[in-house]
Amino acid sequence: MSEAPRDRTELAAQLAQASADGLPVSPRGGGTHSRVGHPEGRPRSSISTTQLDALIDYTPQDLTITVEAGMSVDRLGEIADQHGQFWPQVGAGAEATVGGVLASATSGLSRLRFGPVRDSLLQVVVATGDGRLITAGGRTVKGVSGYDLPRLMTGSFGSLGVIVEVTLKLWPRLPARRWFARSGADALDVGLALLSELYRPGAVIVSGDTTHVELVGQPEDVVAPAGFTPSEAPPPPIGTGVVRVGVTPARVRELLHALGGLGVPMSTQLGVGTCLVAVESTEQIAEVRAHAQRIGGHAVVDDAPDELRIDPWGPPPAGLEIMRRLKAAFDPAGVLNPGLMPGGI
Amino acid sequence: MGTATATASAARFRALLDSERVMEHPLERAIYARDGSITEGKCGLVVLPQTREEVSACVRVAAELGLAIVPRGSGTGLAGGAVPFDDAVVVSLARMNRILDIDPDVPCAWVEPGVLNLDISTAVADLDLHYAPDPSSQAACSIGGNVATNSGGPHCLAYGVTAQHIMGLEMVTADGSVLELGGPAPDPPGFDLRGLSVGGEGTLGLVTKVCVRLTRNPPAVRTMLLDFDSVAEGAATVGAIVAAGVVPAAMEMMDQKMNIAVEAFVGAGLPVDAATVLLVEVDGTPAQIAAEAELVQRVGREHGAREVRVAADETERQLLWKARKSAFGAVARVAPNYYLHDCVVPRTHLVDVLEEIGAIAERHDLVIMNVFHAGDGNLHPLIAFDRRDSDQVDRVYEAGREIIAACMAVGGVLSGEHGIGVEKRDFMPLQFGEIDLAAQADARCAFDPDGLMNPLKVLPAGSRCGELTVAPDSLPPGTWL
Repeated sequence: MSEAPRDRTELAAQLAQASADGLPVSPRGGGTHSRVGHPEGRPRSSISTTQLDALIDYTPQDLTITVEAGMSVDRLGEIADQHGQFWPQVGAGAEATVGGVLASATSGLSRLRFGPVRDSLLQVVVATGDGRLITAGGRTVKGVSGYDLPRLMTGSFGSLGVIVEVTLKLWPRLPARRWFARSGADALDVGLALLSELYRPGAVIVSGDTTHVELVGQPEDVVAPAGFTPSEAPPPPIGTGVVRVGVTPARVRELLHALGGLGVPMSTQLGVGTCLVAVESTEQIAEVRAHAQRIGGHAVVDDAPDELRIDPWGPPPAGLEIMRRLKAAFDPAGVLNPGLMPGGI
Repeated sequence: MGTATATASAARFRALLDSERVMEHPLERAIYARDGSITEGKCGLVVLPQTREEVSACVRVAAELGLAIVPRGSGTGLAGGAVPFDDAVVVSLARMNRILDIDPDVPCAWVEPGVLNLDISTAVADLDLHYAPDPSSQAACSIGGNVATNSGGPHCLAYGVTAQHIMGLEMVTADGSVLELGGPAPDPPGFDLRGLSVGGEGTLGLVTKVCVRLTRNPPAVRTMLLDFDSVAEGAATVGAIVAAGVVPAAMEMMDQKMNIAVEAFVGAGLPVDAATVLLVEVDGTPAQIAAEAELVQRVGREHGAREVRVAADETERQLLWKARKSAFGAVARVAPNYYLHDCVVPRTHLVDVLEEIGAIAERHDLVIMNVFHAGDGNLHPLIAFDRRDSDQVDRVYEAGREIIAACMAVGGVLSGEHGIGVEKRDFMPLQFGEIDLAAQADARCAFDPDGLMNPLKVLPAGSRCGELTVAPDSLPPGTWL
């Protein structure tokens, strides 16, 4: 069964019914992160947000926009662009929805400069598992009224509620913005040197033997570093599955040295500590994870078929008991992606 | 749970800490019954643990005896978040004040909660780094308190509030267990408990260690002071600068009453005949500050700026910032006490809300001074008064209510950076519905099922989750507001 409710009231009612019937359901945006977490935590029945795609409010002078969660990231980008503004997550893929990007905490390539996606979420309206419509946060660029439920919802993969509306902070478009690339055996050294020389680049990414750098700002500041030529944004590594590693940015060299032996495609955001690794087997996933953990990091399966997601998250995170209580509070009947999250939550 | 009082339980805590770190003398307790707000509570006992293990042991004993705990940093909070009620145990983290590790390659630092905000920036200055959130009280407030309230500051306009600069936390929760949440490795799996904990106002746990993100010092900076004949012109300038595509590092406004008080206090050469002044700072590469400073000055003049003073050097820049950050202290020249609100309104409503605040002041025959983060619409209307005049106190409270109502009416929020504490908790229903507040109570109970961590704060009476029985309709007797 697949539902595509026309509005949030209908969506909430369908969730309330699912809870009453004890029928698990999987919230769905553009489907770009449908291959995440424990496979048994992804029920066959889905509930789609794609019909919830209205622009609710946009005051360019306030740099805030309120949209329904099913709006595509590209559409949001077009609307903001008409007023010389942007949301740094644009480029998440043609299918990606605003709600899906937030539910999966997918940050853009320019995170080094513009921060992770969770920093741009000001207010959220969520339909809980039992069909309550909850508003948290506020529509202003700054606010600390009450508990930060918007951050809790970011990255919760639809297991606490279905995000139905969000208010986002936008950025004014910068006068110049461009990617440059340079290839060579010393790609990592070149990248690390750029990271310490440049003042607030958009991104410095090492992908294979290529160093990619995004520069943003005044035209005078957006000029190719020595040896670099204009290029496109680096493509993501492609394999049967992709693992997302997070390590302290201080130990990226050790990580890449250790992973080098695998001989698989990967792409590393310097200064952030995120490394996407293409993998072909559960053994490779375990190996990547072991290397990450040895230097205090973690590795989660970002996108892979069911058979590669035997242990998608690694060791249970701190605070599992608190996470269980949160799940029970927001989804009392346990119908939203039950078991998808770490610890089988 | 036991029925012991905190004061009578001092011996239990003395078994955990040196006796000088357990304070029960009425004078000492009186000092810890207050914070930077105007609320006064009642403190049963003060304990000053120095290690995570001591914090955990104190929490366990309190839990065993059923005693409420109120965490405290430097006590500079402006919403009463650190004020104890009903003889609660105040756990001061002021003595946990070591900078544990600085890693310039991230860059980040692990610090204990009692480290003062400004001390972090001072410690990393030679690495050309700083800690970005800069509340006016930065020389006195602690990083633990900053985490609790999700503090802001002038430079949060461009750099973001505390939550964006906290990479990880170590926290002792209500049952005494220790949680390490996050760290310099990005996006740990599971729900974002770190993100949820920042701004928890000490109701979710006691922070015993913090990993702060450090920020590179900008290669160039330019600070400008613009003055106007009307508040409307100043506010219109703020909106126009943002609309033109520039988010300055900071954009602060002070009205005439505040200018006069500050100028008498600091002597920074502020134009005291102006209706309002706007302090704007741009930073970045030389090309960026040149372009942005030119735009700020042009937009300012187009909107009626009488003069644009550009700080000639670092000394003059520091003087202008000293003027801005001395504002709260300068109020003492006007009246012995002040009551402060912290609403945020959409930038597009700055002018009408400021006019309404002026009308409220007139209606209640009160002096209201304005100094605020204009760039993000974060108002700080400050009501100067004398608490010995009970009629005036009533009017202060009523004016505060009306200010909040005016901000809410244009889509504003209750607090931008000071938190809710006890002083704003009963206003929460103005921003949130019953169902929203119940969800917040649920989140709190997930951390603290017995409700012993900083009770009576953040959420209004009646919105607590089912397991909690504390639900007084009003603040405890003796509460002074």
